[in-house]
Amino acid sequence: MESLRRAFRNNQTLIITLAVLVFLYVIAIQGMSTRDWVITTLRGLAAGAVTFLVASGLSLIFGLMDVLNLAHGTLFMLGAYVGWSAFVRPDTFIDLLPVIMLIMIGFLLNPLWEKGVSRLQLPQLVGKIWPWVSLAAAALLLFYLLPLYPIARWDAAVYNDSPVTWTQNFTNGLISSLIEPAEFSQASPFRLILGLLVAGILAAVSLAGMRSLRRKVQIAGKLNLPWGRWILIAVLIVTSLILIFYNTPITNFLLNISTNWLFLFAIMVAILIGGAVGGLMEMSLIRPLYSRPIYQLMLTLGLGVIGTELVRALWGRSGFTMPRPALFEGSGEGCPATNLSGWLANNCSTLLINIAGEETRIRVYNEVFLILAGILVLVVVWALLRYTRLGMTIRAGVQDSEMVEALGINVRRVFTLVFALGAALAALGGVLSGPATGLSDLMGANLLLTALIALAIGGLTSFPGSALGALIVGLMQQFIIKYGQIGIPIPFTEITFKPTPPLVPASTVLLMIIILLVMPQGLLGRKE
Amino acid sequence: MTTLLAVENIQTYIGQFHILQGVTLEVEKGSITALLGRNGAGKTTTLKSIIGLTPPRSGRVVFSGREIQGFRSYDIASLGIGYVPEHRAIFRDLSVSENLKLAERKSNDFKNKAEFIFELFPDLRRLIRLPGNHLSGGQQQMLAIARALVPDNQLLLIDEPSEGLAPVLIEQLMHAIQQLSADTTILLVEQNFIVASQLAERYVIIEEGMSVKSGRMADLIEDKETIQQYLGAA
Repeated sequence: MESLRRAFRNNQTLIITLAVLVFLYVIAIQGMSTRDWVITTLRGLAAGAVTFLVASGLSLIFGLMDVLNLAHGTLFMLGAYVGWSAFVRPDTFIDLLPVIMLIMIGFLLNPLWEKGVSRLQLPQLVGKIWPWVSLAAAALLLFYLLPLYPIARWDAAVYNDSPVTWTQNFTNGLISSLIEPAEFSQASPFRLILGLLVAGILAAVSLAGMRSLRRKVQIAGKLNLPWGRWILIAVLIVTSLILIFYNTPITNFLLNISTNWLFLFAIMVAILIGGAVGGLMEMSLIRPLYSRPIYQLMLTLGLGVIGTELVRALWGRSGFTMPRPALFEGSGEGCPATNLSGWLANNCSTLLINIAGEETRIRVYNEVFLILAGILVLVVVWALLRYTRLGMTIRAGVQDSEMVEALGINVRRVFTLVFALGAALAALGGVLSGPATGLSDLMGANLLLTALIALAIGGLTSFPGSALGALIVGLMQQFIIKYGQIGIPIPFTEITFKPTPPLVPASTVLLMIIILLVMPQGLLGRKE
Repeated sequence: MTTLLAVENIQTYIGQFHILQGVTLEVEKGSITALLGRNGAGKTTTLKSIIGLTPPRSGRVVFSGREIQGFRSYDIASLGIGYVPEHRAIFRDLSVSENLKLAERKSNDFKNKAEFIFELFPDLRRLIRLPGNHLSGGQQQMLAIARALVPDNQLLLIDEPSEGLAPVLIEQLMHAIQQLSADTTILLVEQNFIVASQLAERYVIIEEGMSVKSGRMADLIEDKETIQQYLGAA
C-alpha cells in the first residue's frame, strides 16, 4: 500500500495527464453513436500503429545517438514504394538483386583493401588524387554496364507502362502474361558479372584510400578477414549466379505464388532495403558529423528532400494504390464474413459485426491487421531491448554511450545497427500502410510530422513513450476527422462546429503543446 | 618489476583547451600507483586519455609493450584495461546483473567471475536484480568497480572512488581495492590523500596539466614540503 502511494506521488503529473486524456476520450465518444466510435477508435489505433513504426525508430535513433533523423519520413515512403515494386513487379527485383550483390562483394573485402592501401608509399598529391580517380572509374564502369544489363523497368512518364497501370494489371491478374523474360542480348553475362565485380572493387578501394588519408595511426596487426565473411562472399557469388542464370524460372515462381507470400516477400524486401539504406546513411554521411549536430540535422533534412525527389523520378509524381494480398481481398459469396471462421474460409476484405444493434462493416486490413502488426512489432522490439545483449547495449548507450565504449564495446557498430533498425521499422511502416492508404510522394513528409509530434508527446528518447504518443496522436486525428463529418454541437447554441481537414494536424500540434506545457519532458520521458 | 603502462609526454586538448601539456608516468605491473594533484590539475583527463575517450594529440601511450594512443576506446579497453570513471557512470536503467553482463568480453565472463566479485562486494549479491538507480552511492561505486572486474583486465583505471562516500564505506572500499591489487595493476586518482597514501606504493603528481613529481609513496609521506606545495594538505 505504501509503495503504491509512493508510486502515485512520484508519477502524479503523468497519472493526472493520462486521466485527463482518458476523460477527453470518454467525452469524445459521447458525441457519436456507438458504431461510429468503435470504428473511429479502430481507425485511430491503426493510424497510431503506423505512426508508431516511424516514431519508434526515431526515438531509438535519437535516444542513442542524439540524431533527429528528419529523413525518416522519406525512409517510410521508400519502404512503401520499394514494397510496392517487390509486390507488383517482382521481376525488377530479381533483375536488380545480382547487380547489388556483385557490387557488394568488393566492399565485403574491405579489410584487404585497407591493409593494401596502408602499405602504399605514395607522394602526398598522388595519394590524395588516386581515390577520386578510382571512384570515377567505378562510376563510369557502372554507367556503361547498367544499360547493357537487362533490368525490367516501368516508365512513370508513359501511361501504359506507369505504376498506375501496373497496379491495375496486377489487380486484374495480368502481370504474369505481361512480363517479358530477361535476356542478355546486348552483352554476354560473363562480361557484365566481371564488370560489376570490378566496379564494386574499384569503389571499395577508393573509399579505403579516402579513409586512410584521415587516419593518423597505421592499422596494426595481421589481416582481419574472418571466415564468416568469406562464407558470405561465397553465398553472394553463388546466389547472384543462380539469379542471373535462372532469372526467368525464379521470376515466374514469384509471379505464380499466392499474393500472400508475395506480400510477405515485399515486406521482407522493404525491411532489408530500408535497413540497408539506413545503415549506409549512418556509416557514410551521419558518422562524420557526430560532433556537429546542427549540420547533421541539415543533412538529414536534405537527404529527406533528395529521397523524395528520387522517389518521384523513379515512380512518378502521381499517387497510386497498392493491391492487398489475397488474405484480405476476398469478396463475393460468404462475404462480408460475420465471424472469424467465416473470414478464415473466405478471406473477406470486410467483416460484418454487430455493434449496439447496428450491422457494421470493418475493413480487415485497414482496421484490424494494421493494429495487430503494430502490436507485434511493439512486442518484438520491446523483447529485443529487454532480453538481448544488443538491447542491453542500446539501453545503456542511451544513457552514456561513452561509458559503453570504455567497456570495450564497439559503439559505432551499435549506432549503425540501430540506425538500420530504425530505418527498417520505418520502411516496414511504409509497406504496411501502402495497401491501406495508397502511395503518394507526400506520404513521407506527412507522417514525419505526425511521428515527431507523437515522439514529443511520448518523451523523445522513450521507446514505450513513442508507442503511447503514436496511439494518442492516431486517435486524436481520427476523432477530429470523424467530427469533421458529423459536427460538434456547441452547448447552449444552435451552432454545429465541423472541424475542417487542416485542423487534423493542427489539433495534434495543439495537444502536443498542452502536454509539453504540463510535462516538458513528455509523458514517459526522463527528467534531465 | 616490469612496466605495464608507460605514458610519455602526452598533450591532450578538449575543444580548444590545452588540458594536458606533457604528462609522463609509468605504472609497474602488480602495483597501485596514485595520481595526485589539485582539482582541475588534469588527473581525470589523464585517465581519459589513456582509455582513449579524450585521445591525446601527441605523445605516446604504451600498454604491455604496445603503442595504443590513437586507438578507439573499445579497442584499448579490449586489450585489458578496465575504467571506473568519476561519479561511477553505472547504467541507471539496467539492473545490477545487466550492468555486470554488459562488461563481458567473452560470453561467460560474468559467470566465471561472479563468486570472486560477490566475495569482494557481498552487498551486490542481494541487489543483483535491482535497477542501478535504486542503489546508494556506495553501492554504485562497488558496482562500478565490479563492472571493471568482469572481463580479464590487467590494468584498472579508478577515478575518485572515495568521492562522496561515508567514512565507513571508504574503509570497506579501500579494503576491496587492497585485495584487488594482489593480482591486478591499478592506476588510482584520489583526492583524499589519506586514502591514497594508504593504498598506493607509488605516486605521480600532476600540476596544471603537467606531471611534476613521481616516486615512492613512502618517500612522499615524509616530504611534507611537497605535499604542502602541490596538494595543499599536510
